[in-house]
Amino acid sequence: MESIKSSDVFKKFSGIATSLKNSEIENWKKQGGKVIGYFCPVIPEEVFIAGGILPFRMRGTGSTTTDSADVYLKPVNCGFPRHTFNQALIGEYDFLDGLVVNTCCDTIMRLAVDWEHAGIKTPFIYSLDNAHAGGEAMVGHFRNQLQKMKDAVEKYFNVEITEQKLQDAIKLCNETKLLQQKLYELRKLPNPPITGSETVAVMVAGSSMPKEQYNKDLKTLLDELGNVNTDKKYSARLMIIGCGHDDTLLCDIIEELGAVVVTDQTCFGSRVMIKTISEEGDDPLMSIAGYLVLDVPYCPKTIGTHPERKQFTMGLAKDYKVDGAVGQCFISCDPWAAELYLLKSEFQEAGIPFIWFEREYIPDLIGQLKTRVEAFIETINN
Amino acid sequence: MIVGGCDLGSTTGKAAIMIDDKIYCGDIIPATTKPALTATMAMDSALKKAGLKSIDEIEYIIGTGYGRQKVPFASEDISEISCHGKGAYWALQSVRTIIDIGGQDCKAIAISDKGVVTQFEMNERCAAGTGRFFQVMAKVLTCGLEGIGSVSNISDNPVSISNQCSVFAESEVITLINDEKSIPDIITGINQSVAKRVVSLVRRVGIHDDVTLTGGCSKNLGLKKALENLLGTTIKPLPVDPQSIGAIGAAVFAKEKLLAKRAKELEVSSKE
Repeated sequence: MESIKSSDVFKKFSGIATSLKNSEIENWKKQGGKVIGYFCPVIPEEVFIAGGILPFRMRGTGSTTTDSADVYLKPVNCGFPRHTFNQALIGEYDFLDGLVVNTCCDTIMRLAVDWEHAGIKTPFIYSLDNAHAGGEAMVGHFRNQLQKMKDAVEKYFNVEITEQKLQDAIKLCNETKLLQQKLYELRKLPNPPITGSETVAVMVAGSSMPKEQYNKDLKTLLDELGNVNTDKKYSARLMIIGCGHDDTLLCDIIEELGAVVVTDQTCFGSRVMIKTISEEGDDPLMSIAGYLVLDVPYCPKTIGTHPERKQFTMGLAKDYKVDGAVGQCFISCDPWAAELYLLKSEFQEAGIPFIWFEREYIPDLIGQLKTRVEAFIETINN
Repeated sequence: MIVGGCDLGSTTGKAAIMIDDKIYCGDIIPATTKPALTATMAMDSALKKAGLKSIDEIEYIIGTGYGRQKVPFASEDISEISCHGKGAYWALQSVRTIIDIGGQDCKAIAISDKGVVTQFEMNERCAAGTGRFFQVMAKVLTCGLEGIGSVSNISDNPVSISNQCSVFAESEVITLINDEKSIPDIITGINQSVAKRVVSLVRRVGIHDDVTLTGGCSKNLGLKKALENLLGTTIKPLPVDPQSIGAIGAAVFAKEKLLAKRAKELEVSSKE
């Protein structure tokens, strides 16, 4: 097999990642299943799965404008929530029975209010207060917030989320994480059988369909990857760092120029699967809280967590033997802009070429982006 | 050895031909709506300057600039960032910092003592700090781009242009005109405003002498003066047309590529 692109399973993942509605969700809904949209990986999907509800990671895929959203949000709000909100306003998220936002960033936090104000008919809306800082002291606090969210879900959807169901959901999601870890392991090879662009599609699909089916499909894909020709040579091994990387634009640009993206530090990528949740202990909510506060590198919004994130990011760069790192953040995403500013000098000190830029959530000025990336790859190869 | 470079920028097309080590630059051709046509017109002009009859006499051509993939006769393409670094170093080996201000973007490029690009920064998205900004201002002031460059040195009391957005800055300039501010004061203010924007970009890669200015805006003497004041250093002039540096760099790359290709062919044939 020349490329995984010809695989039926990959085509399925790619189709799911490049649209909002998909046949898996349609089937789920036909069987009377409920769907909750959630905005950030800090909102644990395990809780919804334990309640028999399908979690769907929110994104603005397919959006071409923010005309409708701009009535409620200003251009100072980054494009990710604006385009996602716009998709909801024009009915693309009608399949949602619930929405959970969190204190991820100011705009997303406010979306719960805008959602109701705009009259979008999503029956259940909940705002989760996540940990604002890292460290042991936050675990208990966050566990209590998760308890409140669990109680609200149980009450509204009339379901019982038992500890056993939570343990089962943790096991199921851990299986997903382990399979995704295997996928990332393949990217450590000198000539990876899967590109960065293809990996984005696989990862995004993982938060857009039922986990049981995803795990089954991903196992098939991993088997197929063993048959992919790995003779192709790449001009540079790069990693991507930054916010909400749910499209393949940047990877496509990089890979069309002959380089390959071998890993990432993004919240649709490595940050959702790099570790698993403990299946030990008698308080699964505490296990989830511990995983999200202590194990997963928090996003730059979280106070005082840059050193851990730096260590994690540098570790990825080393493990995947990257030749350079490309940082991207959406215009007006202040936390990531500050993070990338810090990482630039830290990467340079480590002797790893680093470039970062701001871009719109929906691709524009592709020519300028291509010039930067091409010049960066040329600089590495020089 | 005859090689060439063609730089298809956002507003102009430039071509350079290198015969042995001598460079022949064609005229600066305003961009047409057809990139391939602009490239051909630019190369035709360079052919004339080099005294060549046909493009077929050129053994290797590199395309660069925004339209680099649309240069119909290019053997391959290289980004204009690398080409400006290569061209400026070829023209003046003491150069370490290049400020390239073109039609739609502005770049600060750091090069090593071997002429290799080590770092670069580019303006984000908008037209502030680019030739487009000057075009908008020249239109409002009805002085042409030449006027922006020539009258600025006679102002003692430049105005302050606070808006970096060319659209809002245009409104600001209209207000200044209505306030009967003198045209030289306004133009100097415009040049200083652009220079401030550009210098913040240059600081990100570091200011290392020698500094030089390339791209179409390098011909704006008022901007050059404003940049020198803010950078605290002299901008070294290049012995060739600074607007053609991208094309020249592309031609230098073409020579290197051709030499490498020949060496490889020789290696293969000697093994056979």
